Amino acid sequence: MEFVQKLVTTFNFIVQGLWVTLGVTAVALAVGLLLGISMAVLRVYGNPFWRSVAALYSVLVRAVPVIVIVFVLFFVIAGFVNLSPFLAGSLALGVASGAYQSEIFRGAFQAVLPGQMVAARAIGMSRRQAIQSILLPQALRLALPSWGNEATLVLKDSTLVFVVGVPEILRRAQQVSARTLEPFVAFGIALLLYLALTLWMTQLLQWVERRYRLQI
Amino acid sequence: MKKQIVVVLFWAVALLLSACTAVQPTAAGGAAAESSKLAQIQAAGKLVAGTSADYPPYESIDENGNFVGFDMDLIRAVGEKLGVEVEIVDMPFDSLIVSVQEGKIDVVIAAMQATAERDKQVDFSIPYRMTKDAFAAVAGTALTMQAPEDAAGKSIGAQTGTVQEGWIQKNLVEAGLTPADQVFSYERADQAALDVANGRIELLLMDAEPALALAQESGLELILITELTAEGGKSIAMPEGASDLKAEIDRIIQELIDDGTVQSIQEANGLP
Repeated sequence: MEFVQKLVTTFNFIVQGLWVTLGVTAVALAVGLLLGISMAVLRVYGNPFWRSVAALYSVLVRAVPVIVIVFVLFFVIAGFVNLSPFLAGSLALGVASGAYQSEIFRGAFQAVLPGQMVAARAIGMSRRQAIQSILLPQALRLALPSWGNEATLVLKDSTLVFVVGVPEILRRAQQVSARTLEPFVAFGIALLLYLALTLWMTQLLQWVERRYRLQI
Repeated sequence: MKKQIVVVLFWAVALLLSACTAVQPTAAGGAAAESSKLAQIQAAGKLVAGTSADYPPYESIDENGNFVGFDMDLIRAVGEKLGVEVEIVDMPFDSLIVSVQEGKIDVVIAAMQATAERDKQVDFSIPYRMTKDAFAAVAGTALTMQAPEDAAGKSIGAQTGTVQEGWIQKNLVEAGLTPADQVFSYERADQAALDVANGRIELLLMDAEPALALAQESGLELILITELTAEGGKSIAMPEGASDLKAEIDRIIQELIDDGTVQSIQEANGLP
């Protein structure tokens, strides 16, 4: 009974980090999605200048550990622009994820048959129209499975924002285990929370995938 | 391919250059801001203190999410004297120094010792709590000590390579008070405690905080707790060059030590 009581108090404490973790993940995924799609479009359909910009972004960001990006954004860039630790941390994860997502979407765009661009242009669409209404809808669908994988990675990378003082699930588990000296209880609860979040996210994305599957 | 490499290199250099020029204004702006750090804090009505809340009894978070512990009580007392509110921020210990340098937090209070390396990066207040050592003997012992030198001539143990062992060698053995064959070195403090409990040695000298728990476990009694054998203490860290803030915090700490506040919050948090 005492053990159950302890589990409940520990759980109640750690679960307060749930919204922080969800918030960081949501902001990071949204920023990453915008960056990823636009960089992929530039990379595949842009002129040589924009192509090199997008390639450099993807190469540089993927070469740097995510935690370093979090540090740079919070301690260097947030010195000029006023960013809260939450925003700085989430944006940094978004910038990092954007690079990986741009590779996912680049692959997806390249997987759409090149003849479709030619066909769209032949019936009088501009390049922009062709990308928007012919290529992008197909590329998004193709990218979904790998994108779901990236989403679970971002969820787990959200633990990194604690280095700038954002108390998410894992830090709350550390705080409890420092106080109670029972790391197995605290980290066990954290494990279950991450497991539940990942399963839920995977289910959600599978539903999206089914819902928007092309009927050919 | 060659052309691509040239383009990537060009961008890398361009980014580096812009990063270098971008950093300079902060250095200048930072210096100007630090000179009036105290005024800034007073104007904001808020002192932002960073800590790493995983080190009870100095700092931790209780079930309701409040910051508790010796350091937390102390920084609130400092805030009260400054006439400002105290906001505490939890961060990993490694992020604290850079956060205070970059002005993300005003001060650090995290049971931090003013080591020479850290002192190059930030300024430290006077110590608010000295490190303490404890002499332990078997429970119910007839031995009493008033000063560390009262250990003269007794068989004594310490952990290998510790400050305490160094003190024994320097002040007891080299001073001729204790024969060298009466000093025993142990790999771990709990092994020494076992020998004290079994009567193989009379005394054990070690850090006072872990000694409290160890004494309870192994049936020992702490017969003297002293600052005299230890070195250094715990200080509050603040941005380098914030001299007005340092002067004010030093004055407040001295005041809190003199009026017994430090002593009473020490006892309230179960510290020796």
